[in-house]
Amino acid sequence: MSSSTVSVSVATPTQHSFQRKVDEIKVSKSDINFVIMDYLVSEGYPRAAENFAKEANIQLPLEEESIQTRVEIRGAIHAGDIDTAINKINDLNPQILDTDPALHFALLRVQLIELIRNCTSSATGDITPVLNFASSQLAPRAATNPEFLKDLELAMTLLIFLPSEKLEPELEELIKPSLRREVASKVSEAILTSMGTRGEARMRQLIRLRLWAEAKAREAEKELPPTLPLGLQTADDAITSHANGNGEDIMVQ
Amino acid sequence: MSRRSSYAQVASGGNSHTNSVPARLGGFSHPSSSGAHSHAIAHPRHHSRTHDDGQHNAMSTSLGRSGPLPSYSSQFGYLKDYTRHDGSESTFFVPSYLRGSKHAEKLEEVHRARMAAQREYRSAHSSNAGSLSTSSSSANLYKMPSSHRGMTHEIVERPPALAEEPIAPWPTRWNETDKFPQMEVEENGRLAKFAGAQKSHDEAASIRADYPMPRQCGIYYYEVTVVSKGKDGRMIGVGFSGPKVSLNRIPGWEPDSYAYHGDDGQCFSNTTSGKPYGPKFGTLDVIGCGINFRTNTAFFTKNGHYLDTAFRDLKPGVQYYPTVGMKKQNEMLKANFGQEPFAFDIDKMVQDEKAAIQAEITRFKESVTFNESDMIQSLVAQYLAHDGYVESARAFAEETSAESRALANEGSASSAYIGTEEDIHAINRQKIRAAILDGDIDKALKHTNTHYANVLRDNENIYFKLRCRKFIEMIRQCSELNAQRYGGNSIPTPPSKRSTTTAIHTNNSTATKRSSTATEEYDFEMELDEQLGVHNGAPWDTPADEEDEDDDEEDEDEEDGADREEEDDDEDETEAQAREMTARMLQYGMELRSEFANDQRREVKKALEDTFALVAYENVRESSLAPLLDPAGRVPVAEELNGAILVSLGKSSSAVLERLVQQTEALVNELAEDGGSGAFINVRRDFLQ
Repeated sequence: MSSSTVSVSVATPTQHSFQRKVDEIKVSKSDINFVIMDYLVSEGYPRAAENFAKEANIQLPLEEESIQTRVEIRGAIHAGDIDTAINKINDLNPQILDTDPALHFALLRVQLIELIRNCTSSATGDITPVLNFASSQLAPRAATNPEFLKDLELAMTLLIFLPSEKLEPELEELIKPSLRREVASKVSEAILTSMGTRGEARMRQLIRLRLWAEAKAREAEKELPPTLPLGLQTADDAITSHANGNGEDIMVQ
Repeated sequence: MSRRSSYAQVASGGNSHTNSVPARLGGFSHPSSSGAHSHAIAHPRHHSRTHDDGQHNAMSTSLGRSGPLPSYSSQFGYLKDYTRHDGSESTFFVPSYLRGSKHAEKLEEVHRARMAAQREYRSAHSSNAGSLSTSSSSANLYKMPSSHRGMTHEIVERPPALAEEPIAPWPTRWNETDKFPQMEVEENGRLAKFAGAQKSHDEAASIRADYPMPRQCGIYYYEVTVVSKGKDGRMIGVGFSGPKVSLNRIPGWEPDSYAYHGDDGQCFSNTTSGKPYGPKFGTLDVIGCGINFRTNTAFFTKNGHYLDTAFRDLKPGVQYYPTVGMKKQNEMLKANFGQEPFAFDIDKMVQDEKAAIQAEITRFKESVTFNESDMIQSLVAQYLAHDGYVESARAFAEETSAESRALANEGSASSAYIGTEEDIHAINRQKIRAAILDGDIDKALKHTNTHYANVLRDNENIYFKLRCRKFIEMIRQCSELNAQRYGGNSIPTPPSKRSTTTAIHTNNSTATKRSSTATEEYDFEMELDEQLGVHNGAPWDTPADEEDEDDDEEDEDEEDGADREEEDDDEDETEAQAREMTARMLQYGMELRSEFANDQRREVKKALEDTFALVAYENVRESSLAPLLDPAGRVPVAEELNGAILVSLGKSSSAVLERLVQQTEALVNELAEDGGSGAFINVRRDFLQ
């Protein structure tokens, strides 16, 4: 049997042996579709999920009653409307914030940052609401946890520096949209966990596995090509930190 | 192999399909068949995979492993190491703590491949050449729950993985050829007994297991029960040693040898001076021995209790075999290599190790500089667009851009949706794929020729596969019709005109196959005429059907045809229909054969053989070849064509996300090779499901 079936594909001489191993791996479409669907549902893309269920002929996961609410909550957090978000979360399940003080604090801090941003954006801005909010909502919580306190203090320094073109990187982070995005996805995760499903989309751990495995393999001095590009133009430079125009890159649409 | 070449003869030589039946069966006689071992092969096997029965055990012991391997097992290349010629298939087991691991999956695959190969061989020998034996060959196969054909093919199509990297098996029994001479092995290889005279002070009798503990397991663990420590003796050592370590010494006293001794509770590595380690042990104690290859440490357990790390100096390059040694007459040790539940909760230890690695991976995000969410969005968008999920891609683009609007000033280019030109291609590809998935190969060919004429020209193998698939679909239809005729339950009520119409309109959804048989038959008629008339070898020369390729119009044609056929639908009609359909199918088959008769490529020959074998069965559905008819077989063809079209458009045939998964698997494989953290990761199971 072996004699008749061994057919080693003729590789181009320049191809790294690892690349050949990569090519030999068969990926099942249904696995990929599963990961995609899992992502669309748990990260809250209901219309895409619906369409994908139709087009790929797979089932929408059943547990998805909360998807619409999650989308709304995410939208509210992204827009900085934390009051609405907190109300919606509590409507869904008051336990979520009660049992996760760190998450609750993170939300309130986003709210504080939004207040600071508002009052510093105009010369006539009144900082009283900021101070009131900080002392009534955040300070009592910060007293219980040194981490919270540090975070609160940092946020309050924004009052001094805003508006400004040049902020310390630490402060810059606070007014970037990515903070709201991060908090929103933590909230989403907490909601999903509270419903008994796995909180995080599998895709995220998959991406980390890919990066971790490459780092580990390089650390163990396995034979790898100098870079392992994915071929995703936008993220390519990011994922392979030292990518510099490797010719092996695959084409992307 | 011989079977194949005979198929090829059929495919290229025979003129009518009836010839193919005897020729094919003739092919079953195996060149390397020798009567010498046929008794072993013909031995009926009713064992389930995980249970032994006494009769079988007795047989395997009496035949012994050291005898010459029968010729057939050497055909399986390296598999012979793993194969015991007496049918060890019934003794294959997966230790509980390795269930679900990548290594266990690989070994199982090897095991199944070997079983399939043996079955094929056996059935070849048990069927009398010459007599028509759909029954005799398939009778053997009825026992197999999973189709043996399907399995064989699947394995055969993926040989490099098997052939290039032998998968290290785990220990299964004591090795009768790797022991001190006066050591006896009983109970299917699991009991080791010292039958000689008492040994002097520094001598002992040791025995090693049949295979080393595979590093790819990450953690390997086995247990032994002291059945009898013999008359006032308990100089028993349990541990592991390299393949060349002397067997007339107790394990632990030689270089590359490590053990825990029952007489003093000490552990020994590479030398005769031990160090205090655990309690003493004796009769009826269960001693476990495990290696963690990630950390290159070893530990022992006693009666289910963990006894701490014993050794930290294992060498990464040495193969360690489970080894036991004893000194007194009638000392007996029984090993459990995972055939039975363990006394110690090794499953939990492995689970904890896995969880720790998962946590390490989760923490890894903190060291990542790029924005994970952005990257995932681009991956998903690219996948949806790449694979032609047009509506999903659009909805996703809208939802993500709404998201970034909410995030205000974040100018995320990643959610920008690809333009309209791409859409057209995506829609075309989707149409073509849908047609194949519905079994309408002609429609797929037509669309492909219209839009991507060069694709079939440049990818002859795909063109060939499509043509084969069409043949299979025709056989499918014939067999469906036959099932209707002979199936006991009479023909389904002829659909009314109205319902036929709807059925035809939804013809593209697979649900309506049965009621639209007539329609599809009409289709075949049309298409076949076309092919007979115009088709001279090169499909791309076929004047791409002049008719409007609008689906609706096509449907109307079909509808007319269907109505015509439907008018006097009675049994005779059905039979005539079936005969006609069979005739057309055969005609198409002959065409197919003559078109590719001179093709010497192995895959082409093999595919032809397999496909033509279908014709030999009166009732294909109940034959061992039934899996070939499975509509699931359409998927790979559809994906391959989709990939080829993408390549022709200057794009990668696989989406970035698929690439990422491939890379991940390959990287994890690398990390698993030497028992590192990769050994505790099963990408598919742990991350994709």
